[in-house]
Amino acid sequence: MNMRINKQTGEWLEREKQINFTYEGKKFTAYEGDTITSALWASGEKVLGRSFKYHRPRGVLSLANHDINVMLTDGVDTNIRGDVITVKEGMSLTAVNTLGGVKKDNLRYIGKLLSPFLVVGFYYKAFFRPRFMFPFWENIIRHGAGLGKVNFNYPRIPKPKLNEHYDVLVVGAGPSGLAAALAASLDKQLKILIVDENKQAGGSLGYDRAGSVTPQSQLEELLSEVNITPNITLRTDAYAGAYYTDHLIPIIEFSGITKVRTKTLIIATGVFEQPPVFRNNDLPGVMNGSAAQRMIYRYGIKPFNDGVVFTANDYGYRVALDLIHAGTNVKAVVDLRKTPVSSILTRELANHDIRIYSGHCVYEALATSDDMAVKGVVICPFDEETNQADSEQSFTIECDGVAMSAGWASAAALLYQSGMKVKYDYTIEQFIPDSLPNGIFAAGKVNGVYDFDQRIADGARAAAEAMRYMGMDNAPVITVQAHSNVSPSHSFPVVPHPKGKNFVDFDEDIQAKDFINAAKEGFDNIELMKRFTTVGMGPSQGKHSNMNAIRILARIRELPVEKIGSTTSRPFFHPTPIGHLGGRNFHPVRQSSIQSWHADAGAVFVDVGAWSRPAYYQKPGVDLAEIIQQESMAVHNAVGIIDGSSLGKIEVCGPDAAQFLEKFFTGKFADQKVGEIRYALSIDESAVVADDGIVSRVKDELFYITIGTSNAAMVYREMQRWLQMWQLDVGLINVTGSYGIINVVGPKAVHVVSSLTQDPLVSKLTAGKVGETIISEVPVRIMCVTFVSNIGYEIHVPADSMLAVWEKLIKAGTAYDIRPFGTDTQRLLRLEMGHYLPAYDTDGLTIPYELGCESELAMDKPFFVGQRSLKILAKKTLKKRLVPFVLADNFSGQMPEDCNLVIENGEIKGRVTSISYSSKVDRVIGFAYVDPNKVEAGSQFEIRTDNGSMVKATVVNTPFFNSKKEF
Amino acid sequence: MKLLKCPINGTRPISEFVYGGTYRDMPDHEIVTDSEWASYVHYRDNAPGLKKEWWYHGPSGTWFIAERNTLTDEVKDTYLFNKLVEQESVK
Amino acid sequence: MSMMKSTPVAYFQKNLNPKWGEVNGTQVAMSFDTPEIEQQRKKNLGVTDVSCRQRFGVKGPKANQWLATQNIKTPDSINSWVLDNDVLVLRLGSSEFLIEQQVSGDVCKQLNQVSQTAAVGVYKVLRADAAFVISGDQILTMFSELCKLDLSAEALKPNQLIMTQVADISATIVSEITNGQLVIRLWCDGTYGAYMWRVLHQLAEELGGGAVGLTNC
Repeated sequence: MNMRINKQTGEWLEREKQINFTYEGKKFTAYEGDTITSALWASGEKVLGRSFKYHRPRGVLSLANHDINVMLTDGVDTNIRGDVITVKEGMSLTAVNTLGGVKKDNLRYIGKLLSPFLVVGFYYKAFFRPRFMFPFWENIIRHGAGLGKVNFNYPRIPKPKLNEHYDVLVVGAGPSGLAAALAASLDKQLKILIVDENKQAGGSLGYDRAGSVTPQSQLEELLSEVNITPNITLRTDAYAGAYYTDHLIPIIEFSGITKVRTKTLIIATGVFEQPPVFRNNDLPGVMNGSAAQRMIYRYGIKPFNDGVVFTANDYGYRVALDLIHAGTNVKAVVDLRKTPVSSILTRELANHDIRIYSGHCVYEALATSDDMAVKGVVICPFDEETNQADSEQSFTIECDGVAMSAGWASAAALLYQSGMKVKYDYTIEQFIPDSLPNGIFAAGKVNGVYDFDQRIADGARAAAEAMRYMGMDNAPVITVQAHSNVSPSHSFPVVPHPKGKNFVDFDEDIQAKDFINAAKEGFDNIELMKRFTTVGMGPSQGKHSNMNAIRILARIRELPVEKIGSTTSRPFFHPTPIGHLGGRNFHPVRQSSIQSWHADAGAVFVDVGAWSRPAYYQKPGVDLAEIIQQESMAVHNAVGIIDGSSLGKIEVCGPDAAQFLEKFFTGKFADQKVGEIRYALSIDESAVVADDGIVSRVKDELFYITIGTSNAAMVYREMQRWLQMWQLDVGLINVTGSYGIINVVGPKAVHVVSSLTQDPLVSKLTAGKVGETIISEVPVRIMCVTFVSNIGYEIHVPADSMLAVWEKLIKAGTAYDIRPFGTDTQRLLRLEMGHYLPAYDTDGLTIPYELGCESELAMDKPFFVGQRSLKILAKKTLKKRLVPFVLADNFSGQMPEDCNLVIENGEIKGRVTSISYSSKVDRVIGFAYVDPNKVEAGSQFEIRTDNGSMVKATVVNTPFFNSKKEF
Repeated sequence: MKLLKCPINGTRPISEFVYGGTYRDMPDHEIVTDSEWASYVHYRDNAPGLKKEWWYHGPSGTWFIAERNTLTDEVKDTYLFNKLVEQESVK
Repeated sequence: MSMMKSTPVAYFQKNLNPKWGEVNGTQVAMSFDTPEIEQQRKKNLGVTDVSCRQRFGVKGPKANQWLATQNIKTPDSINSWVLDNDVLVLRLGSSEFLIEQQVSGDVCKQLNQVSQTAAVGVYKVLRADAAFVISGDQILTMFSELCKLDLSAEALKPNQLIMTQVADISATIVSEITNGQLVIRLWCDGTYGAYMWRVLHQLAEELGGGAVGLTNC
C-alpha cells in the first residue's frame, strides 16, 4: 500500500530521480534521498527486522539512528542502518538476524515459546551444567548470537585522518547550534565549524511543525544566514564521535576522520525521544512521535492510515496535528496525565473533533492475526499516583499505527566524556549540565531549554560565553528565561502489565519486569543493572532507553532519580568503522644511504628497530639456511662486507667529556689514549644491563661512541638528561644519521681496505685502535674491531659519500671474492666470536654479574650510574650465569630454540638465549643461562625442546672455533 | 589527545613527547643504607597529587620538568631543569 | 677525482625517471617532466628535493658568539630564522644552528673546514639532512594529514621555525608566503629522507600535484 503523500516543504527527496532496489528478494522503488526504511515504509512494507533476543517483528521506532530495529546486509557490508542510510541504485538487502527471511523467520518461535526461560541474565545461569554439554550449547549460541555476518573479504580501504583547527566547534545544527554559530561569527576573526550527523541541517526545527509552516521558514532564515557567513563552515552527514582531552573532537564522515582541535566547544545536540513503556509497544506501526514527524516532513510519507496518539507530554499533541496534516485519521489522543493542559494545542485538536482521553493509558497494543503489525490499542484509565491501570474499564480502538511520546533524554555523551557534572531539573524531568569544564558550553534542549525563542537565545548565550572565555571581554551578556511551561518529559511513563513484553530497550529486548528481577538478584546499582539486564549495551547504546531505565531503577530502589546516576559515557557516539579508526597511517622507516645498492644486489630486508636492513642477499636456487652458512664462511675464509649504518653514533666532546663517560658507563675512560677503542657497558640505576657499545677516543676532548641500533635514541636521551643533572662542560651530538658504517671483515680485509688509501694507517691498525684518514677525498674514521671476526675494519663515512666508498670497496674486493652479508649472518658471526648481544642475550632484569663481565665494572670510580646498586647486588647469591655451549657432535633431533628452558632435576635453571648451527665450528652453538656452578668449560646441562625432549649441552670457552680442540 | 607545553617549543600534542618518570633527588650514594638506596631506585610515591616529572620533547631533544596533578591530569607548569635547580637552592 | 655523492632521496625517485644532474658533487633530479607540467604541479602542490644544498651545523653555549666571529648573522630569538644573501640561518632552539647555502657560494664549505674542537663551547654538528621545498594551493590540505599543528599562515609568527613531527617523524618546518603563495621548507634526518619523499610525493599526486625538479623549484 502506497503511503507516500504530496511533496512537503523542506523534504529531503529528489522526486525526479527514482532508484530501484530489492529487499528480502522483493523489488522496490525509492526516490533519491529516501533512506532504506523510508522507501520501504512508503511502499507499505512494515516488517523491517527481527529483534535480537525474541525475534519479534519490528518496524520503525525512532527513524533517527537511536535504535536498530532496521539492520540490513547487502552481502558485502552488514548491519546497515536502514533508518539513516540512503538507498543506492541496485542495492540488494536482507534483514540480519533471521533464519529464513524477515517474514518467515524460523527463530520467531524463540520469542513465543522460550521467552519464559529467557529471563534476564539467563545466560549467566544456564548452559554450564552439565559441563560436558557446554561445548554443545556454545556452538549453538555462537551461531545464534550476534547480528549480521562478517564478510572476511571486506575491502580494506584505509581512510586518511586529517587534523583541523577551529576557534569554535558547534555540534548540532538545530536552532540553538545555528544561533550559536551566527552569534560567534560576528567576530570575523573566529573560525567556526558546525557539524550535524543528519544529511541536512535543522534538527527538530525541520520536522517538529505541529502542522504549521512557521518552523520551516524559521529554519530557512537561519540557514541562509549561515550560508552567507564566510567564517562559518557547515558540515552535515558528519558526527562528532567523542570528546578527548584538551578539546580534541574526531568528526566522522564517510571520507574519514577529521580530528578537530578547537578552542571552544558548544554542544547543541538536542535530546533523544524516550518511548512510553507499555505491552507490545514494539509492534510494527507503533513508533515515537518524532519518528512519525520525520517520516512526514523529510520523506513525504503518511505514517499510518488510522492512528492513536499515546502521550505523556504536550509533544504528542503537536504530533497529532502533524499526523492530521499528513492525512492520518487520528482517532484519539490518550494522555497519561490526569489534568490535560488547556492550550492552543488541545483546542486545535478539539477543532478537528478528536477525542482526548486524559488520565488514561494505552494498556497494550494488539497485534494482527499474523502478529506482524498493530491492529488496535486497549485503553484504560490510569492512576499516576499508584502507577496502576484499571484494566476492568478498558476499551479498544482499532488502528494501524500508534504515535507515542513520553519525554526526552539529553544527548550529552560528549559533555559527560569531558567531565560535566549534572543535576536533575524537576521542572523538566531531565538531567542538565550543572558545571562544565573550561571552554565547553551547552545550548538548547540538551541544556534543558525547550521554548523556541529561548533556544535561539541560549545558542547566542553559549557563543557569548565562549567568546568571553577566549578573551573577548566585550561579548554580550545574555540571559535565558528558565523553563516555565509544562514539563517536556514525564517522570514515569511506564504502564505495567502482568504479561510483560512492555519494552524499555528495543535493541536488547529488555522489558520492565527484567529490571525488577535484576534488582531482586541484587544488581541494583545502575552500572550493575546495565550489565545484568544489558540495557543500553546494544548497538544504540541506550539512546532510546537510558532515561527510562534510570526512572525504573529509581522506583525500584525508592530513591530520587538523581541518586541513581547514569552509566559512563564512552567513545564513539555512533559505531565507527575500523577502517576509519585505523586510518591511513604512517610507517616511518630509516634506511642506509646505499639502500638501492642492496636492493639491486638482491637483498631481502628486515626491520631492525626503526631501520630496514638487509637480512641476507638472495642467491637463485639456494635456501636461506645455506646462504647464511655461505656468507659466514666467506667471512671466515676470505672477506665479507656489511652495511652497519643503523648503529647509533654519538660524539661526546668538551673539557669534561672523559669525566662524563666515566659517570655514564661502568668502565674507565679518563686514561683512554687517543687512537684507542674501549668497550662500554651501560647499566641503569638498578644495575640492569641497558646496552653496550664501543668508545673511540679520536681526540683528547672528542670521544666517538657507537651503540646498538635499537637503543640508540634512548641512550642519547639518557645522556642528555644526565648531562643536565651533572652540569658538566660537554657537548653531545647525535650523529647516527650523519655517518654510514661499512664493516669489512675477514682474513683478506686488510688487503681490501689498504688498497683504497695511500695512508699506511690501515695496515698499522690493530684490534682496539682507531684512526682518521682520507679515502678518495672523503674523510673517514676507521676502527679495528673484533665483533664479527678476528680481523675487521669498521669504516665510518659521511652519509652522502657512502655509496662511493662502498662501491670502491666492492671493486677492490672482487679479487678476493668479497661477499656482502646481512644481519642474519652477522648474528651468527658474532655468536661464533662469543659476543653476547644486549636485548637478545639479556632481558629486563639481567645484571652484569649474570654475564660474567665483572672486568667491565670499575668499582673504584667515585660514581657511575648503577654503581651503588651493583654493590648491593654483589652481596646476593647469583641465581644464573650466561655461558657459551655446544651440542653434541652429529646432533640430531629437534633443534632447541631461543627461550627453551634449561632444566635440572625438574627445576628451571635458565634458558637458551641464542642458538644456531655453525659451519665453521661444525656444531650447534649458543648462549644459555645456567646455574652458576656450571660456568666452567666442560660442565654439562640439559635443554628441554618444544616437543619435550631433553638435549645435552656442554659449556665451552669462546670464540667457539678456537676451543674446537676442547670438544 | 592531551596538549603539553614545552618551555622552549610551545604547546604541542603529547605524541611529540616522551615521559621520563617522576623527578627524584638522588640521595648521597656513599652514605645511605642499602635499604634507603633500594627505595630510591625502586619505590615511587603513588599518592595522587602534584608531582614533578621529567618530560622530553622528541623533535627538539629538550628535557624539562612538568608539574602535573596526577589526579586531575592538569599540568600546572613546565620549565627547564636549571629553573628547578634554582628553586631547590632557594629552599 | 671527485666522487659523486648521493642524495638520501634518490632511492624512491628512480622510478620517476628524472633527468639527473650534479649539484655540489651530488646527483640530483633536475627535472621530472616538461616545465609546463612542473609549473602546473607547483601551482597545485609541488615537492622538490633540495637535500643537495650545502649545510653546516653547530651547537653549544658559545655557538652564537662564534658564528658572529665568522661573519654569520644569526636570529635574535629562539626557534627563528634569517636569510642573509643566499645564506639561510636557522636557530634551532636557543643554542643550535643550521646554516644552509641556498643556491651557490662557499660559506658552508668554509665553515666545515673548522675542526671539531676548535673553540670551547662550540661543537660542530655533521649534517646529513633530507630537505624539501613544498608549495601550492593544496599545501595546507596535505599538511592537515601530515602534521597535527595549525600551520596556516595566521597561526605562525614571521620568521618562525617549528620543530615538530611530520608523517610521524621529527622534522623542522619553516613556512613563509612567497609571491602570495604559502611555501613550506622541511628538514628531516637523511635516513628518513627516502620515506619522507615517498609520503610527500604520494600525497602531492593525490592532490593534483607531484614531483618538481631542482631546475623549476
